[in-house]
Amino acid sequence: MAYNDHAATAHDHDHDAHDHKPHGWRRWVYATNHKDIGTMYLVFAGISFFIGGTMAMLIRLELFKPGMQFLDPQFFNSMTTMHALEMIFGAVMPAWTGLANWMIPMQVGAPDMALPRLNNFSFWILPFAFTLLLATLFVPGGGPAGGWTMYPPLMLQGGAGFPMTIFAIHMMGISSILGAINVVVTIMNLRAPGMTLLRMPLFVWTWLITAYLLIAVMPVLAGAVTMLLTDHFFGTTFFTAAGGGDPVMFQHIFWFFGHPEVYILILPAFGIVSEIIPTFSRKPLFGYEAMVYATASIAFLSFIVWAHHMFTVGMPLAGQLFFMLSTMLIAIPTGVKVFNWTATMYRGSLSFEPPMLFALSFLFLFTIGGLSGLMLAIVPADYQYQDTYFVVAHFHYVLVPGAVFAIMGGIYYWLPKWTGNMYDQTLAKWHFWLSTIFVNVLFFPQHFLGLAGMPRRIPDYAVQFTDWNQVSSIGGFAFGLSQFLFPYIIWKCVRGGERVGNRAWEGAHGLEWELPSPPPFHSWTEPPSDALIQRGAAH
Amino acid sequence: MAGPGTSMAIDPGQRQRGVRRTALLLGSIAAVFYVGFIVMMVLRATR
Repeated sequence: MAYNDHAATAHDHDHDAHDHKPHGWRRWVYATNHKDIGTMYLVFAGISFFIGGTMAMLIRLELFKPGMQFLDPQFFNSMTTMHALEMIFGAVMPAWTGLANWMIPMQVGAPDMALPRLNNFSFWILPFAFTLLLATLFVPGGGPAGGWTMYPPLMLQGGAGFPMTIFAIHMMGISSILGAINVVVTIMNLRAPGMTLLRMPLFVWTWLITAYLLIAVMPVLAGAVTMLLTDHFFGTTFFTAAGGGDPVMFQHIFWFFGHPEVYILILPAFGIVSEIIPTFSRKPLFGYEAMVYATASIAFLSFIVWAHHMFTVGMPLAGQLFFMLSTMLIAIPTGVKVFNWTATMYRGSLSFEPPMLFALSFLFLFTIGGLSGLMLAIVPADYQYQDTYFVVAHFHYVLVPGAVFAIMGGIYYWLPKWTGNMYDQTLAKWHFWLSTIFVNVLFFPQHFLGLAGMPRRIPDYAVQFTDWNQVSSIGGFAFGLSQFLFPYIIWKCVRGGERVGNRAWEGAHGLEWELPSPPPFHSWTEPPSDALIQRGAAH
Repeated sequence: MAGPGTSMAIDPGQRQRGVRRTALLLGSIAAVFYVGFIVMMVLRATR
């Protein structure tokens, strides 16, 4: 049996009765509770996921056949740009912050996040930022269409939407920095006595490192987009060759932010998978400390690999060698992680509930994304792959069955804790299998298209690319449709279901499982005992 | 709520001081990065 069926005790309900939580709209607008803010972040991420997903469907619709069918080329380019911005800044990053808000205080034995009002502010910036970003689609010149990387001079040719995009990016960046500060302050100051750094759950560790990355690189993005703004409006020529500037400098600055950003999107996924696999293997995580050091190594290396995104700009041979080799080094700590997850499962008592299925899918498919990343790191090979669909296939393998599947696995893992109800596992397994099958139908053919030379970010293509584009589009539509199961399963679970006890999964360890399900409005108002902490830190 | 097994009192004043100190430190670092980068750029442009 995957979960125990002890109903929540009367004792727990007594505590709930003492929770003086605000009601109505004030509860959400003035929210300072980590669980409420976590829920708002997750709902926001879900909405962005479907908006960004709709844009992806439009892209795949246009690419179903060669020639121009439905979309104007400018609008198509807007869709590729907005899809990326929505998914990266609107879906994946807020989903991680939502999970951090929900879980970090419960996992470290804290009553709440350290800076609750700041927490409220960092969330409420986001709806305004994304309204502004989406509004660019309705102004003269349309939305940003130069790709999410915003390379000049193309980006500088934007219309009225250009400054709106820059302002929206500033707002997202400020929100991320404030959220990251809150996470670090909470972890460094509100850990229960006895919760030493090396007793913290891996999800907390990966988020701590992610938060440092965010504080370090979001200002770089802010600087880069402000330079674009001044080039456009104030006559500077940072990136304009005619005025002595250099458009390639933008690429260096952007990717100095952009590559750590990739790890911001994936490190918390490593943390979640490191929580799920031991639970459903009924074994402690293999090599806990190695996992922590591997995460820190990946974060460090992420600062010295940025130019592998721009091998073809014509950099010196020494530069190419350095960035190629430093990129390949990342395979070592990543390999440590994949090895340790596999070793955790070795001779474990495995069961395959939905969170474990998503974690296993992550393990296989993220590794495919990692391996194609290694191929892209090889300079001479990259000259062939650069700007083709091979790159699109690579990063979608890392981000969809990587980051997104880990988010879904995490939600399926902790949803019974949050609601006190078990969700419909049969439906969740349907969601898993449909997602896993169709994510491969969607993205695997894009490797072939890229190797055959199909460029990315184009609305039309040569006829020889038709077949695999059609397969990819069919996979895309099926993947997109199957995602509607996810909110339905969550909604059904929130409304009711089989009651679960404190420890919703029998193999689960960690302080969050010592609290009632659902947890009370305020989590650990008194710190947990050392015995509880030691029982939770079963690694 | 009090957890199922609670122990070890925490000095709230000390905790609050720690929170304030870390928040100010990180906030200053982020602000210096954020504003500093933009100011540096403006200075460079006006040189």
